[in-house]
Amino acid sequence: MSRVRSIIACGVLLSAAVLPQSVRRTSDGKPDLNGIWQALNTAAWDIQDHTGQLGVPPGQGVVEGNAIPYQPWAAAKKKENFTRRAVADPTEANCFLPGVPRANYMPHPFEIVQTPKTIAIAYEFAHALRSIPMDGSPHPDGLPDTWMGDSRGRWEGDTLVVDVNSFNDQTWFDHAGNFHSDALHVVERYTLSNADHISYEATVEDPKVFTRPWKMSMPLYRRLDKNAKLLEYECVFYQQEEKFKNAPFK
Amino acid sequence: MLLSNDVRVVAVLFAAVVAASGQAQPDLQGMYTRSGVVGLEAQPPENPIDPSGKNPLSVSNRGDGLGPYPGIFGQGGTVLRAGQARQQRRTGIVDPEDRKLPWKPEEDAKRRDFLLHMNPAADLRHVELNARCALPGLFQGEDGNNPYQFLQPPGAVVILYDYNHTSRVIHLDGRPHVGPDIRLFMGDSIGHWEGNTLIVDTTNFNGRIAYSREIPYLSDQLHTVERFTIADANTIDYEVTIDDPVLFTKPWKVAGYFTRVPKGVESLEFACAEGSQTLVNIFGKPPERR
Repeated sequence: MSRVRSIIACGVLLSAAVLPQSVRRTSDGKPDLNGIWQALNTAAWDIQDHTGQLGVPPGQGVVEGNAIPYQPWAAAKKKENFTRRAVADPTEANCFLPGVPRANYMPHPFEIVQTPKTIAIAYEFAHALRSIPMDGSPHPDGLPDTWMGDSRGRWEGDTLVVDVNSFNDQTWFDHAGNFHSDALHVVERYTLSNADHISYEATVEDPKVFTRPWKMSMPLYRRLDKNAKLLEYECVFYQQEEKFKNAPFK
Repeated sequence: MLLSNDVRVVAVLFAAVVAASGQAQPDLQGMYTRSGVVGLEAQPPENPIDPSGKNPLSVSNRGDGLGPYPGIFGQGGTVLRAGQARQQRRTGIVDPEDRKLPWKPEEDAKRRDFLLHMNPAADLRHVELNARCALPGLFQGEDGNNPYQFLQPPGAVVILYDYNHTSRVIHLDGRPHVGPDIRLFMGDSIGHWEGNTLIVDTTNFNGRIAYSREIPYLSDQLHTVERFTIADANTIDYEVTIDDPVLFTKPWKVAGYFTRVPKGVESLEFACAEGSQTLVNIFGKPPERR
């Protein structure tokens, strides 16, 4: 029995070396990311430092070093996007799927569903959904371009690492017009810093648009509200109700 | 003394692991296709949506011979899976036995009138919700094609639909339904296990979702009870009780089943609104916003 106790004690010590004891682990020994999470920042409006404007809360950026290493043509394109953002932002103006990493910092909660073989992320905004295989399978060849990308996950110690590619060139990183091409490759890292906070990092690589990879990072907060539950924000439906309320037009 | 303490510690830890892992639940995880649920009543209204079968606006004019009235109903579903015999299971309306839905006559009349204004759609209200890329509710996620993935994190059963990237999180922690002022396309689902059967109670619907093309809406008083029963390693039997006191004189039941798909099948992205020109094609372009 004392041997059993030492084994248990040993296990507890090992996990304590990496994560605070408040962090629950799943049956397969991984940090338990299950639950509802939300970013509490202004990255959905602008991932870089920005001053407040009507309808835009001010914010410090989430980009490491603040500057985004655009190629010269792309810097011009970003400026053009900014001026057209009221109608051209695929997500804010058109309710389209927000892509990755933008889905994680929309001003809406999302739910992580963690099992040993699959991790799913369900988003309240536009009911976006990612199903992330954890079985070590590679990105399939020949996938069509997608809005949310093809995600493959793995554990590096206590960090969930998700590799995402097969994106189209249609989504923006924010309402300020920061954009990418279909060569986008995102590597996300989810690390519990304690039971209720995830330290989230996304490395962004796109040789058609940027001169080098760059990184953004932010905390994600657990929604501790009693009976917290993902509801529905059916952006497309609401927009149709507005735009087509007097239809038919011909 | 010391020994019994140790035993207690081990027992508590073991219970915690089982509870945390969700192993207390029977395991139905995996990827399945659904059969038999989107069916028809025995006496459907005369095809109101596609009278000629040649209407260019018809959502059912798909060129694949599948009109709005597929012939699967009441014949027993069949599914052929590699290495598996053809199986017969209960499908479609199983209560009442004559498969005639217990419509309130005045509500049936309203429904038939509604159907007559759907193609071409008279206005936005008469456009099929699936054509608007809205969440499909519990029934219109598609039979046969787009698969469903069941996951079981601790304390919940989660169903991911391939269809329109929909998901349902069914909490098993004994929480109550959300408040009555919250209305949802997918409703608010809470569940519990009885043996091998997951029972899911859903309320808080928004009065917009359809059951099928012939039942284009259900009321916001809809209350469903679904039973997912693990029949064997590859099959989940499904039964849903539809209680909508606004439209029907009594509840009715539909049966269907989920069959595991071959290994390696993954969901692909079902982007819907992103490329859709449906409403513009039906109604013309809305005036520009100022």
